[in-house]
Amino acid sequence: MPDYKAVTVSKGRGGWGGPLVIKPTDDKPLIYSVTGGGIHPVAQRIADLTGGQPFDGFKGSAPFDKIAVAVIDCGGTARIGVYPMKKVLTVDIHATSPSGPLASFINEQNFVSGVSADDIVEGA
Amino acid sequence: MTAATGTTRYATTVTKVGEMVPAFVEKGMLIFFGENAPAELHDMSVLHRPDVADGGLAVGDLLILDDDEFPILAVGHVANDNLVNLGHIDLKFNGETTPPLGGDVCLPKEVPPTLKPGSTFRVVGPAPKNTANTEIKEIP
Repeated sequence: MPDYKAVTVSKGRGGWGGPLVIKPTDDKPLIYSVTGGGIHPVAQRIADLTGGQPFDGFKGSAPFDKIAVAVIDCGGTARIGVYPMKKVLTVDIHATSPSGPLASFINEQNFVSGVSADDIVEGA
Repeated sequence: MTAATGTTRYATTVTKVGEMVPAFVEKGMLIFFGENAPAELHDMSVLHRPDVADGGLAVGDLLILDDDEFPILAVGHVANDNLVNLGHIDLKFNGETTPPLGGDVCLPKEVPPTLKPGSTFRVVGPAPKNTANTEIKEIP
């Protein structure tokens, strides 16, 4: 069994929301990267620091209740609201603010944006 | 129709239209994802399988959905990356010439066409100029 650790993810330059504390568990081990080009470096860093399991959303499917955090590279319409709607903590690498048809599901407790690897620190 | 004979930047065929797509059409919006997108994105998306995925969409290109042509009015700063990497594009039929969101590609304000499996999506740029020996020069 991995020994999971917490990280705190803060908004980056021009970003919005958070900070979010991410701590995977045995029930929610996945660091779910829904991004272009495979596992995004932000997702990889969260996985490295927490002991969570990186998972490429474009190569398989994962049940929402297994996802500790979704990392997206959303431009503000679709993915930005899908994961908050499904009650999945969401990290957008782009500096978006709540927008799109599902904007009402996005809040500072479930979403943080503009995030780069430097915005992820160990601890809660 | 001169632009339609230019560089094909993207060409794809619709494989599935999600259940929520008509609701987005009513808001002047069409969301596309490549058909390998995760399942939670299927309901809201037009899924497709591209033949040409070069990208490089720019203002003034022509976007062609089946037989309907739309001039591209604005391209958000992440739109091309999303299209090339994920087959993802947010078409906004809003008439805007500056993109409200980074993922937006803005088109004239009109009702989006109804797409179905087999529908085609193409983006065509101007015909390439003979630029073999042309260097990009800074404007003083």
